[in-house]
Order: sequence, then C-alpha cells, then structure tokens
Amino acid sequence: MELYRLTASELSRMMQKKEVSSVEVTRSVFDRIAKKEPEIEAYITLNEQAALQKAAEVDEKRAKGEPLSPLAGIPVGVKDNICVKGLPATCASKMLENFIPPYNATVIEKLNAQDCVYTGKLNMDEFAMGSSTETSYFKKTRNPFDLSRVPGGSSGGSAAAVAAGEAVVALGSDTGGSIRQPAAFCGVVGLKPTYGSVSRFGLVAFASSLDQIGPFGRSIEDVAMLYSAICGKDPYDTTTARREYPRFEAGFSADMQGVKIGIPDAYFGKGVSDEVRRLVMQAAHKYEEMGAALVPVTLPEPDYGLAAYYIIACAEASSNLARYDGVKYGYRTKNYKTLDEMYENTRSEGFGDEVKRRIMLGTYVLSSGYYDAYYKKAKFTQKLMEGMFREAFQKADFILSPTAPDTAFQFGENSDDQVKMYMNDILTVTANIAGLPALSFPCGFDSKGMPAGCQLIGGKFTEQRLLNAAYAYEKAAGGFDLSRTLD
Amino acid sequence: MIIGLEVHCELNTKSKIYCSCRSSFGAEVNSQCCPVCMGMPGTLPTLNEKVVDYAVKMGYALGCTINPVSKQDRKNYFYPDLPKAYQISQFDIPLCEHGHLDILVDGEEKRIGITRIHIEEDAGKLIHDESFAGTLVDFNRCGVPLIEIVSEPDLRSSAEAKAYLDTIRETVIYLGISDGKMQEGSIRCDINVSVHKPGEPFGTRVEMKNVNTFSGAVRAIEYEAARQIEVLEQGGVISQETRRWDDLKNCNFLLRSKEDAQDYRYFPEPDLATILLDEAHLQELKDSIPELPNKKTVRFMKEMGLPEEDARQLVESIEKAAYFEEIVKAGNGKIIPKDAANWVLGGISRVINETGKPIAEIGVTAEDLAELIGMLEAKEISSSAGNTVFEALLKNTGKHPKEIVREKGLAQVSDTGFLQQIVDQVVAANEKSVNDYRGGKTNALGFLVGQCMKASKGKGNPAIMREMLLNYLNG
Amino acid sequence: MEIDIKRLARLAKLKFTPEEEEKYAAQMANIVAMVEKLPDLDASGPLIDPDNPMEFRKDEVEKKYSRDELLANAPEVQAGCVVVPKTVAE
Repeated sequence: MELYRLTASELSRMMQKKEVSSVEVTRSVFDRIAKKEPEIEAYITLNEQAALQKAAEVDEKRAKGEPLSPLAGIPVGVKDNICVKGLPATCASKMLENFIPPYNATVIEKLNAQDCVYTGKLNMDEFAMGSSTETSYFKKTRNPFDLSRVPGGSSGGSAAAVAAGEAVVALGSDTGGSIRQPAAFCGVVGLKPTYGSVSRFGLVAFASSLDQIGPFGRSIEDVAMLYSAICGKDPYDTTTARREYPRFEAGFSADMQGVKIGIPDAYFGKGVSDEVRRLVMQAAHKYEEMGAALVPVTLPEPDYGLAAYYIIACAEASSNLARYDGVKYGYRTKNYKTLDEMYENTRSEGFGDEVKRRIMLGTYVLSSGYYDAYYKKAKFTQKLMEGMFREAFQKADFILSPTAPDTAFQFGENSDDQVKMYMNDILTVTANIAGLPALSFPCGFDSKGMPAGCQLIGGKFTEQRLLNAAYAYEKAAGGFDLSRTLD
Repeated sequence: MIIGLEVHCELNTKSKIYCSCRSSFGAEVNSQCCPVCMGMPGTLPTLNEKVVDYAVKMGYALGCTINPVSKQDRKNYFYPDLPKAYQISQFDIPLCEHGHLDILVDGEEKRIGITRIHIEEDAGKLIHDESFAGTLVDFNRCGVPLIEIVSEPDLRSSAEAKAYLDTIRETVIYLGISDGKMQEGSIRCDINVSVHKPGEPFGTRVEMKNVNTFSGAVRAIEYEAARQIEVLEQGGVISQETRRWDDLKNCNFLLRSKEDAQDYRYFPEPDLATILLDEAHLQELKDSIPELPNKKTVRFMKEMGLPEEDARQLVESIEKAAYFEEIVKAGNGKIIPKDAANWVLGGISRVINETGKPIAEIGVTAEDLAELIGMLEAKEISSSAGNTVFEALLKNTGKHPKEIVREKGLAQVSDTGFLQQIVDQVVAANEKSVNDYRGGKTNALGFLVGQCMKASKGKGNPAIMREMLLNYLNG
Repeated sequence: MEIDIKRLARLAKLKFTPEEEEKYAAQMANIVAMVEKLPDLDASGPLIDPDNPMEFRKDEVEKKYSRDELLANAPEVQAGCVVVPKTVAE
C-alpha cells in the first residue's frame, strides 16, 4: 500500500494505532513528489528536510505516549500566499521572490499546535489573481488528470498537489472561487469557509473583505478535519467572529431526509456547459433519492455578482498591493535615480500583467469622480445580494449549483481574453461577496475524462450542514475517484 | 485674515494605534517596530482601545457630538515613510464632530468652532544627512496614535491662532491624553489662511504644511497673510495651493498647486470592523472630563480676581492650579487669592525648578502656606521673616508657620519705642548715608531701612521704621 | 468610455510603454464594460456596518522582533535604516 494515496483520516487512524509512522508517511509523500513533480509542478518551495525532522519529532512524541491531535504528523501543503516563518512566501510573484516572513500566519500557528508537517509552498496565480495558475511568475502547474490542461486557480498548486498525492491535504485561499474552482478542476474537495471564521493574519492580502483561507482534501472528512483545526476567533484579525466551533468531522450526519436544496435557475443557465449541467443535476437527483427535496430559489444575477466582485476585489487589491514599492522588502529595480523612478520601475518590473491590470482597475474605481459609480455602488450591490441570499435560505437549507461553468480548460485557452477568463468565477464569486461558506466536491467526469465540481452554498456559519450533505453524497457515490491521478 | 487649523496631536498611549509596539519618543532607529507597523505582507491592524477613549475624551472636552458608530478608512499615497502606502485614518464618519473651543484673547473669550476630531496613525521619519547618499527611513513613529482636530475658519489673527493652539495643548495635558511636548513633535499643525478686505467675501485659502512649533505658527500666518496681500496689491490672484513652511528660512514655498492635488482614493478600511461605542462607556468617558484650562483661567480671573497672566501661568500646570486652589480653600476666605498665586508662582515655582520635584514632594502643605500668607497679610511678620518661615517649612520638620515664628522669634515688632531706638542707632552709625540723602541721593533711604532691618534682626516693621527715618531725615 | 491610463498609472506608480498603454486601454475598456453591469439601486448614504462591531486591543506593549529580523528582507540597509533615493523633504 502506497501511503501517499491514503486520506488524512485514514493515516491518522493508522498512526494512532502505530501501524505507520509519520516519517514513513512523509517519506512516501516526498517520494511521490520526486516522481510526479517534474510533470505537475505544483510546488514553488519544498520543505523536505524540515518536514522529515518534524515527522520524526511527532513519532518521538507518540512513542513517549504524549497526547497528539488527529492531524499530528500529517503532511500538509501550504499555498504560497500563507506565511510560514522561515520559508519564502513568494505569492508566485517576482516581487516577493526572496521574501521570507519572520512570522507565521495564525492558521500555521494553529497547525503547529496540532503538530502538522509542511511539505512545502504551493504554486498559485500571482497574488492569487487568476483562475488557472497561469499568472504565476515561476511555473505553470499542470492538471493531474490531463497535463495539457490547467489545474484552475488561483490555488492551482494546492488542488493539483492533493489530487496527485503530492500532499495529503493542503491550505488554499479563496477570494472569488480560488479554492472551489481548482478543487472542481482537479477532482478534489475544497471548502471556502464563512468570512470571519478563519483568521487572515499572515495571509498575504488580495482583497481583504473577501479573502478566506480554506482546506483541500481528497475526502469530506479530511476537509472537515483541517477546517476544524484552522477556524476560530483570532485577536490579530478583528474581522474574525467570536463564536464556538465544533469538531466538524465528529458531527457528520448523512441523513438527507426532508432537507430542502435550493436550485437557482440562473446558475445553470447561459455559459454553463451541457455536460457540467447534467453532472451537477445528477448529483441533485441523487440527493432526491436520499429523501431531499429540490426547491427553486432566486439568487442575484450572476452578472451583478461578477461586476461587484471585480470592483471590490480590485479596489482593495490596488491598495493592498501598494506596499510593494521596493523599500522594505521584496524586489527593487536596478534602474533608478529618483524615488519615483524607483517606485515605477520596481512595480512595473516586479508585477505581472494580470496584477497590473487589476491594480489599474482598482485605482480607476476608487479614483475621484468614479468612486460613487463603481466602488460605492458595488458595495451597495453586495448588501442587496446578502439580502437575497438570506431570503433564499428561508426556503432552502443550502443551495446547489455547478462550481465552474465548465471543466478544466487548455493552457492559453483564455489567456488573451480577460472577460472570458473572469467568467470562470461567475458561479463562485457570489459566496465571497455575501461572506457565505461554500464547498465544491467532485460529481463525476465529462466526456473528456475531466472532473466536474458541484458547489454547495450555505448560510453564514453553516459549514457543518454543507459538510454533512457533501458527506452524504460521498458515501452514496462510494468515495471520490482519484485512481487516475494517484496511480 | 481668515485662519483655520488642523492640529495633529500625538496621544500618550503605551502602545501604538494598530499594533503592540511601544509608542515613545527618542528610541534607537527601527527598534520599536514589528511586521504590522512596517506593513509586511499578510499583517493586519488591531485598534488600541485607549486611542478611541482618548479621542472621545477630547471630543467631550471640545463639546463635540460623538458618533457611536464610526469606521476607519484608507488614505492611499506613496511615500517612503508610509510602509503600507496608505494611512489608516477616518474619512466621512469621524469619532467626534461639531464642537467648539473657547479661547481667551486680550481678556476676552472667543468661541472657535471645531469641525471634527478623528483618529489616525503617524508616519515614519525620514533622515536626511549629507553623509549618506540616500534618505534613511526610521519606522519607529509609524503607527504612533494621533488625533487630528480640525477647526472651523473662525480665527482672525495670528494671536488668536496662538491662543487656540495654547488652549488645545493645555486641554490635552489636562485630559492626560498627550504630553503636549512641542520639541518632540507631539503637536503639529497645518494652517489654512486666506485674506479679504472688510465687507468682501472670503478670499481663496492656501494650505501651509509642516508647522511644528507654536511660534512658527504665528510667523507662518503673518508671512502667508503678508504674501497674499502683496500678491493682491500687485493685481495678482491667490490660487488654491499647498505651501510648505520652512521654519529656519522663515518663509514658505509652493508644494503643489490645485491642479496636481493628490487623489487619495479613500475607502473604508476592510481589515478593521466597525467601531461601536456603547452608551454606558461614553457616559463614563464624559464623566471623567475635569474642569478644562480655558474655563479654569476665566474662573481664576473672574472669581479669584487674578490678573490674566497669573491665571494663565497657574493653569498651565495642573498641579500648580490645584495647589493654588487648595491654599485659597485652606485660607477659608481670609486670604487674598492673589497672594496665594504669588507664592505658587514665586517661591514654590522656584523650588520646583531647582529640585525638579512635584509639589506633593516639596512638603509644604497648602494649610501651612495659607497660614503663612495669613500672617503676612496681617503684618504679624515681615516679608523677610516670611521668607525665613518658608525656608524652614521646606526642611519638612513638621512644624507649622506659627510655631516657627514663635521659636525663631520672628514676630514682627511694631513697638515704636523699641523701633525708635534702632533708628537712632542706625542714623548715628551711618552719617555718610544721612548726608547723601540730604544731598539729594534719595536712594540712600533704602540702604538705611535695610540697616534698620538688620539691626532689628528682621523683626522690625519696615514700614514704621521707614516712616521714622523719613521724619529724621526731612526734619 | 474614456479611461485616462496615464493618470491611473501615475496614481498606481506603474509605468507603461505607449504600446502597453494602448493594450491596457483596450483591455480595461472591456473589463469596465463588464463591471458596469450593476443593478440600478440607490447608493447614497455612508458605507458602514453597525452589525459588525470590532473588539479592541488592550493598550499593552509587546516586543517580539529584533531590528535585524525586520530589516532582513530590505533591499538596502544602512545604519539600521532602510535607504531610498534622496527625497525632497515634505
């Protein structure tokens, strides 16, 4: 049995029974990385030595009989916009190529407390801006199901690594679908938690009011386990909510009897491929078979969501990314005499095209004379959308839709048409805009053999409900089929 | 001349506004920083509760309306002293609005409108030095908490502006929210100035930045008003612009014109949730506001009959003002407040300056000083004996003035027989001075009185002896 | 739709060649057309969310980082400070 193929929950049980050691598991994952990384290219930085050392420490603790958490000794991959003290946090940008944070993100502090092992830092779209991981300054990560296709983005490295067995579970971040869309493209599970349930401290900001860290895994239980470990109030992030969180993986119920599932017509409409529509509706019908009822719900126009999303996200990004100026850290141009030349050349050379485009758009929507028409109106649209979701949740326990309009596309297919690329996010952004939890799980393959993702969106802090439903599907489907990417 | 002021005042909290770094002046460069105030990737601000409290206190002190629901905004611009490339400030919903401050100019009170008070973070410090090829950046000041107090354009002269600044400074010191130290840059201001002829509408205003001292503010206003009048008299027009005050050269120069005005792209700070202040807490803060210096000064003048200068000097120091009031109270309406003020501003202030001790540690109780003043006013002792008693009190022996006077035999002697004896002795022994006086050198009288005091060992009533001397000399 | 690329670039401290300017202008026009699809609603009034209050931090001092750690990522350091091209004092 190849250990890298197993889920975190399986490995955890085996380690607790001392059937395997963390060193063996970690070794297996790094052997897998050595084998698959040349074709997948999921990692920007590998952390092999420190990982094996940590694994040995965990094994030692276990040998001594110290109490350990279920995640102790599990190899976790980390998206490269999450700060791990002492490891580069490049955000896949030339701008931060050599940046090594002297601090840990709060989620890393939490995982350290659980004795997790870090495999390394995972590739992504530059500063999380993109839907294919193609905007990374360093490399293009390939989809483990088809190397000619993108893994999705921006957390493409995280999704591909988990799908290919190069990490057991991984952390990603989701601002407009950056966890769910790559999860869908790579046939794994991804959860974008309620805004405010996971600390953003140490997550390099793209859009502060939308960003949220979340887990990737090959099973619902793994995602639940990792989410339980990272959520919670953080005094270093004033936007986190003070509330009690359960251990989500302990509370599963696969009972779908009487559950009402909202089906928003507009999310199955134009732009959604026939095959994806069919696969997602099959999942919906499976829930019906389990006793759930499908009810039509009206959600905000996807177009509104996309417009509001790009305005708010880019506005915040233009401000968040202003700090990369060549003064305190990161890239500094060689060509300058004056301060302004240093600023302009540093930023023009250090940022890629997509990042510059979004900074320009954000600057535009905030600039004097345009603020009211764009930024302010987008914020009011956000309020309107929150209200519409609240209404929808009066009728339905959660909402079901495709995660992305289509399955993974070929490299370069959308690179020249930004609007077409942005349409990839049309079904995911509304959850970010409304601050809602949303999850993507695999619901079968299209005729090209590529996985499709089914998205569940719930009311604020209803992660348990979403995890239960996804768990019910997983059980009924007999697990998620990753045999092709794990072989 | 129309003047409006934007005063930035550094708050004296222990830690910075958005992180837990120490917030103090004069530390080694970049020794009071952390990833948050240096704007490192992924870091987030957390708002210091004291900063909110202090700003609200100032709001109550200046009669403002407090916004119980408020927020913070980002002001975006690039400069090396601003690590995040935005300053967290407050834009459209400041903590405090619509207040006023009464200032005292030439004995008259004048009410100046306060537009708003908001909280924000300070920027770092740029070090320009010939020995370095570039500019050095010290981030210690980044995130030091500030309140910005914006006045209405209600000031009409540099003297009014000075009085306004002095009153702001005294007020923050009274509230205990700032050191108010100019030399450490605790209070800085931007000044808006315009001029117009009487009866005509207000002129175009010019903003002046970088005014870091109160005397600089007076000079900057005078300079700018004169500059504007000169431009107008030569047929020119004043354009809306920002100028930079150079305190060393004593002049200002153009920083930017209206055309290249900055576009700060303010928007709500998404990293910080809403500032929500509950009524009970606001009431608590409101109740904590002491009598403010401007009100105290007027009361000292009106109720205690002090001259403006004395009242101001006392009020400048919370402890002196309080001590003065204690003395007056201990005097039980029997001593003249002006005498108490003289002692506080005289002897007590001298001891404070010499020893650096607070009044409480000097050890002269208000009761003792009131007793001493009472004896002086009743002419029971001479003023020189008063000084002797005061010196004795400073030794902290626990003895009260009356005991000291008794022990040292300092009670003033007014017995004319005894005093005449002394006067006779002195004139006999100082024939030259007597002749000098009679020859027209009238200041010889002072010498003779002094000699009489000496001969009486300080106990003789100098007024009576002086009268006796005059009788002899003119007789 | 007229977008002043030069002005925006100046605000954002970015520099473009004339060809890039043209490219960005065209791309941004498309994107702006997309983001203009907002519903017709009343967007007056302040942007504030009273339902989302914040917990404040206690005014306590904590020191966790040395200067060397904090300046380790800086491109140019001299005398314990980061260095930038000479600025005109403001």
